[in-house]
Amino acid sequence: MLFRISAVWARIELWAAAALALLVTLLILLNVVTRTMGNALFWVDELAIYAMAWMTFLGASAALHYRSSVSITLLPDALPDQYKAIIRKTVDVIVFAFAIGMLWFCWRWFLPLDLVQAGFDVAAFQGQTFNFIYAEPTTTLGVPKYLFWLVMWLFALGATLHSAMHLLTRSNRGLQT
Amino acid sequence: MSPIIFLAALFLSVPVAIVLVVTAIWYIWESGNTVLYDSVAQKMFAGLENYGLLAIPLFMLTGELMNEGGMTKRLINMARVSVGGFRGGLAYINLLANMFMAAIIGSATAQIAVMSRAMVPAMEAEGYDKGFAAATTAAGGLLAPVIPPSMMFVIYGVLAQVPIGEMFIAGIIPGILLTVAFALVITIVGWSREFPKGSWMSRQEAGRAILQSLPAMLIPLAIIGGILFGIATPTESAAIASLIAFLVGWLFYRELKPSHLAEMFKRTAVNASMIIFMISAASVFGWVIIYEEVPQKMAGLITSVTSNPFMFFLIVNAALLLVGMVIDGIAAIILITPILLPIATGSYDISPYQFGVVMCLNLALGLLTPPVGIGLYIASSVSNTPPGAILKSLWPFLLAVGLVLILLSYFASLSTALL
Repeated sequence: MLFRISAVWARIELWAAAALALLVTLLILLNVVTRTMGNALFWVDELAIYAMAWMTFLGASAALHYRSSVSITLLPDALPDQYKAIIRKTVDVIVFAFAIGMLWFCWRWFLPLDLVQAGFDVAAFQGQTFNFIYAEPTTTLGVPKYLFWLVMWLFALGATLHSAMHLLTRSNRGLQT
Repeated sequence: MSPIIFLAALFLSVPVAIVLVVTAIWYIWESGNTVLYDSVAQKMFAGLENYGLLAIPLFMLTGELMNEGGMTKRLINMARVSVGGFRGGLAYINLLANMFMAAIIGSATAQIAVMSRAMVPAMEAEGYDKGFAAATTAAGGLLAPVIPPSMMFVIYGVLAQVPIGEMFIAGIIPGILLTVAFALVITIVGWSREFPKGSWMSRQEAGRAILQSLPAMLIPLAIIGGILFGIATPTESAAIASLIAFLVGWLFYRELKPSHLAEMFKRTAVNASMIIFMISAASVFGWVIIYEEVPQKMAGLITSVTSNPFMFFLIVNAALLLVGMVIDGIAAIILITPILLPIATGSYDISPYQFGVVMCLNLALGLLTPPVGIGLYIASSVSNTPPGAILKSLWPFLLAVGLVLILLSYFASLSTALL
């Protein structure tokens, strides 16, 4: 069950990442065209960078499901299977701890509970926490930056889901793409 | 304790990016500076807010489009026109085609995969030793990270805060030097082994081959020309190159099917996110390097051994060879640039361009050396040749790279002359 949810979520992440890769390409091409016509759109670069950041974090989360991240497999490759299984579980524990850590970091950064207590009043929230996350603007896009930062939540939640799945299921699942 | 956590996690095969973040988290906890936890996630995001990084997915996309668009065989034909008639012609064709490809693809492993599939069977059919065929192809792949565009240079440029376009230009002479060195190796090996004789194309065939390769040659022209003349940023030239690759493969060669585009974008996203995520994680790891003053401490150590920049280069080269044997090239660049670059530029007054070229070529060499030689294993599995047989023919090429590395370390102008 957990495996199925993780697999479906990974597929959604991958296709979203692919769409964002397309968006990055189109934005840069748009930039080339408008610049040659002497009428450059100043907000394109920033949007392209955020699209790339979203692509990266969604793709990185999906990679945890497929176990396709870059890693150094020298030691496990050299060991017999039973040790390999132990190492793999140890890695799963570390990755899961990392994912939980990411959730906690996002929580400390976005402070959602404090925001609710402040009645979604950003000024009151800032007065209480000295956290200016909700006031930070983007440079050129004219929208608050926390909207783009929200991808860190998606990443933390996705990583938690995928790593929990690996922790709790047989170790050879999830390799098929 | 942090170094132990770092090495243990790394060798347990925890994903490299996560090793970096976990080490940083541990270090922060150990040093009691826990207020930094508030900004870990923000720092990871901020590590990606760099215009140059956009070139990574775009160059990967160009490579994907080129593979599907039937450009490889046209470029090989083009190489056949110019060097096909020499004894050992196909070996030179392989090398020259690799040089063309390197001007389009930025990743050694991608290039080795494509070229092994295209060249090794052809060379075998003409009577070359399979191990030598695969070795020539694998060595040719090393041109990819040196001749622009280069994924390693993009990443190095971002980390070293030098313009990526300039970094690309710095790679041009070293790339030609490397090609010449490989050509010499083929010639010398040819003296001791009887290579099959090549044949020149008829004038008519040659004309057709050149004509057919012209649209494909637009891509390296757009990339190198755009950057060299300062018309486009590397990111823009990558986008233009991918558009050309798409149009040429779809409309001229009619081998690229628009219905495959979705899969290509997916592969691009997967491969690019893998690399860019490591850069994101490295920006958190940067705290450890900065607060521990790792470069300063290492600089103290190394400057007490030698004050000669060339000696420093030799030490760095030896160390990087060892690192490259165990760690994937791009991961190694992300780890090592922030530590060694300040020493090179600060204590030895070495140009960051020269340092980048030497470091990237050296770490790319690690792709072909066991125990962790991804390029070697790709060449081996694609061409169906045991790694041992490839290595037997590969060592003269590796030696040539070693010599080129020494030349590049000694003569700064080889990297900086065109800047």
